[in-house]
Order: sequence, then C-alpha cells, then structure tokens
Amino acid sequence: MSVKMEASAGKLSENTLMIYGIVVALVGTYLTYLNAVTGIAVFSFFGGIGAIAALWWGSDTIKHLCSYGLGTGVPSAGMVAFGAGAIAMIAGTKFGLASPIVTLVLAAIIGAVIGYCANNIINMNIPVMIFSLMKLSIVGALTMLGFAAMCTGTFMFNGLVIGGMTLSMEPAEAAAGGAQTFMVTVLPEFASSLIGGAALTVIFFLGAIALQHPFNACLGPNESQDRTLMLAIEVGFLSMFVVAVMSYAFLDIISATVGVVVSLIGWVYSYKQYIALSKRDAYAWLDAKPIIEVGGNE
Amino acid sequence: MEEIVLGIGITALAGAFATVAGAAEDTESDIGSQGDPNSQVQLAPQMGYIHRIFNKAISGEPPAYGAWCAIGAGVAWALMRINFNPALAIILGSVIAVFVQGVYCTSGYLGRTASLAKFQQPVYIDIIKSLLSVTMAHAFVAIFCTVAMCHLMATALHHPFALPLLGLVWGIALGAAGSATGNPFYGKERQYQNQKFGAGVPISASGNIVRYAEAGQRSSLDNGWFTTKFAGPASGICFGLIVFLELWRTVLFEKTVAGWGAIIVGVILILIFTFIDRWIEVWGRKTYGPYTAAEEASS
Repeated sequence: MSVKMEASAGKLSENTLMIYGIVVALVGTYLTYLNAVTGIAVFSFFGGIGAIAALWWGSDTIKHLCSYGLGTGVPSAGMVAFGAGAIAMIAGTKFGLASPIVTLVLAAIIGAVIGYCANNIINMNIPVMIFSLMKLSIVGALTMLGFAAMCTGTFMFNGLVIGGMTLSMEPAEAAAGGAQTFMVTVLPEFASSLIGGAALTVIFFLGAIALQHPFNACLGPNESQDRTLMLAIEVGFLSMFVVAVMSYAFLDIISATVGVVVSLIGWVYSYKQYIALSKRDAYAWLDAKPIIEVGGNE
Repeated sequence: MEEIVLGIGITALAGAFATVAGAAEDTESDIGSQGDPNSQVQLAPQMGYIHRIFNKAISGEPPAYGAWCAIGAGVAWALMRINFNPALAIILGSVIAVFVQGVYCTSGYLGRTASLAKFQQPVYIDIIKSLLSVTMAHAFVAIFCTVAMCHLMATALHHPFALPLLGLVWGIALGAAGSATGNPFYGKERQYQNQKFGAGVPISASGNIVRYAEAGQRSSLDNGWFTTKFAGPASGICFGLIVFLELWRTVLFEKTVAGWGAIIVGVILILIFTFIDRWIEVWGRKTYGPYTAAEEASS
C-alpha cells in the first residue's frame, strides 16, 4: 500500500478540470467537422485546441496519480496513457461522425482494464489507479484524435489512412515509404497518409512527452497548480506548432498557416506567463551570482 | 553484387552518422544533466547543497530523444511530401525539433528549481542563458545525424518503416545508448569526484555532488568538458556499432535461408557480445576491484 504524499491543492478541483477538459476536447474535435461542411480546411486548428484542453486536464490527473510515491514513474504514466489511447483512437475513428464519442468510451474501457491489471493483478494497490488510468487513457485518445484532426483536417478513419481532405493522391516515392519491397512487406500508397506514413508516431510522442512534462518538470515541495497547468498549456501549444508544420503535407497552405500562427501566438503568451509564474514561485531569481551556502558540509 | 556493395557503403555511412550522433547526444545530456544522474542534482538542494548545475528534468533520455528524433523525422517527412529537397527538409525538421527541445529544457529547469524554493535553491537565470545554446547545438547534431541516417535507411536501403517511425525507433536507441554508456562517466564519476575512487555512491553521500571547480564554481560546461573525452566517444562507438552491425547483418544475410540468415547472424552477434562483456567485467574486477583486497586487509 503506497502512502499518499501531498499534491498541491489548487483552486480548480480535479472534477472541474475533467469537465472542462472533456468538453473542450470534444467540441474542438467536432469543430474540425466544419471543414467538411464548408469545404475549406481553415477550421482544422480547433482540433489542436481540443488536444491542448485534454493535455491540460491530464497533467493534473498525472499529478494526483503520481503523488502516490511514483516520482520516477511520471514519464511512464504519459506513455501508458498514450499507449492505451492509441488503440482507442484508431479503433474509434471507424465510427464516422460519432468517432470522438466512441473514442472516449473505448478509451475509458481500455483504461479500466489496464488499471484493474495494475492494481489487482500486479498488486500496486493505489486507490486512485483504476479511475486515473481511465482518465489518462481518455486524455491520450482525445489528444491524439485532436492533433490527428488538426493535421489532416478530418477525424474519420479513411481520411487518416488515405490522406487529408485536400490531399492529392500521388504516391510519394520521396516520402520514405512508397511501394517498395523489403523482405516480405509491400506498402501501397497509404504510405503518404497520417497513419500509413507513421506521422501518427510523432503525434503520439509529442502528446506523451507533453502530458508527462508539466508535473515532471514542476514536481517538488513548492509545486503550485496554476504554474503546472500553465506549463501544460505551453507544451500543448508547442506540440500544436509541430503538428501545424506537419499539416502542410495534408492541408492547403492557408489552413496550415492559420494553425502555425494560432499555435505560435498561444505558445508565446503561455510561455511568458509560465516564466512569470516561475519567477513568482522561485526562492530567488539571480543572474550570474555565486552559490548561496545554506548548510551541508563542503 | 553491386547492390551489396552499395548496401555496405550505405551501412558504413549510417554507422558514421550514428557515431557522431551518439557522441553529441551524450555530451548534450551531460551538459544539460538529463537522465539518471539528474536525480542527484535534484536531490542536492534538499540535502543542503545549493548548486549551479543545469537541472534538465524532461524524462529519461530514451523517450526524450525518441521524441526529438521523431519530431525531426516527422517534419522532414511532411516537407518531403510537399516536394522539399531531402537535405533541406531534414535540416528544417532538425531545427524545429531542436527548438522544441530547447523550450522543454528551459521549462524543465525553471519548473524544478522554482519548486525547490523551500530548500532555498535560487533560479540562476544565467545558467539557462549560457548553457542553452550549447545543449541545443549538440542536440541539433545528434538529431540531424539520426534523421539523416534514417533517411538513408528508408530511401537507399528500402526499409519498410516510414521515416517518422524510423526516427522514433532510432531516437530511442540513441537515447538508450547515451544513457547506458555515457552517463556513468557523469553520474558515477564526475558528480562524485570528492568520493574515494571506486567506492560507488554511498547513501550518506547522496546529494553531495561536486559543486566547486578547480577555480570558482562548477558549471555544467565543466561536466561537458570532462565527459567529452571518454563518455561522448564511448556512446558514439556504442551507437555506431549498434547501427552498423544491425544494417550489416541485414544487408549481407537478408537473402540467406529465406530471411532467417540475418536473424541467425543477429543471435550470433548477441552471443559474441555477451561473451566479450562478461570477459571485460571479470577482467575489470580482477584488475581494479578494490573490495576484496580492502576487506582482507581490515579483517
């Protein structure tokens, strides 16, 4: 039985964060459907906003899970969230317009199974484990779905394996895959899509690192919720920037540029806020000053 | 025959890229203080040892470098999809990956250090200013070499994996090689030069890392200076050998016994290396191990 250590109590309760996170993530993902309604892809960046909301909520969930003496397990929690979320997200996108909802439900089920295995079979005995892993799986799935929707302009499976809504279907020999044989594998022209070209890998890792980073970077006795959450937004926008650059391969130039601009504005703002909050919380903010000796035998 | 000669040439080139990448990666992580040695940097203020060492809390090196190389490869892949020149695409991809890496470095240092206010560890903002460019430059070399190597595998050797996935796999391998090979030079040796040689790190010395240099106060750049001599090249040789032998066995033996040839050769290579490792370990213990002699003398 692990002992619960203190996690900084913040102004926002975990349930409040969860409601905001899920609602904004789902709404953001659904807003990318405006692409299909209007026929222009400039609404893709809403997917990224939804993914940031999911990451923002998830970083707080990780904090509560990892306050049970899992200090070095913080990065692993990010990985397991996205591992579970990837299955749910890829399976969930097969359900057409209902994809985001189905993804959420599937992720909750997969997370519950993983949490049950960790708690009752491996006997980790952490009280919040099952519920936390359910939430983290949802975070992973919704983040990947949001970023995938932002990158390709659609959250439907066909768009993700064949290409974005404005994709011209030329086989990209230059793009690593192409129809080539190596041992026994034959890759058709799916290689130029988000999933077939393995660009989803980048989204997976962007999200996993961004999910674990806020609490991993800010943990310590003086961790404060607003700083950690601001860092979550900052790394979220940073990940969104990379996804926006990658979306040049799938969307038209204007839509992709809108994504880049939105993410850069958000990143600059949140990064400045984060530095200000760090300055507020730091013991001292020194420039080229010597070590202050407080004890310890040198 | 010509195909195999080309394959061996590509293999050698990829191995050279990997060697440079490994050396740069390890130097970067030692200057930035990433991976397992960072736990001592994190612990030091709690034990009363305020220090001026970079505290780059991102995650272990394998996931972190997996992410950077995947970003570099992914952006390069996307740019090549819209007909960018591969060289330009790889450079731009690496630049964006290094930008992300640099931002993560600053937020890791600021976050961890600000959360240690209780132990009176100040944020030394000049550490970020002076060290960030150095770590980012090393990271660029590491990421660029890895992504270029992956591009060679994808296009010249017709690897079935797409470029972003290759970037992820080899990025994780790069981080693992640097973490396993290079970090002991930093974490077990350089941080604990005030302890008796070969003593390991006793619990009572936890957090008591070396904070003062020969003259003045130790900066993480001094750690880079120390580890560049042995840790960087050792990591480079490690990663270079991994890449070279992996490709070498595939290129030469892929067609033998319906594809099983490469797997059999791989198993044989693992056995050879297990034997060499064991032999070096036993030889090292016999030649340098201080414990048996000390215990006999004291009893």
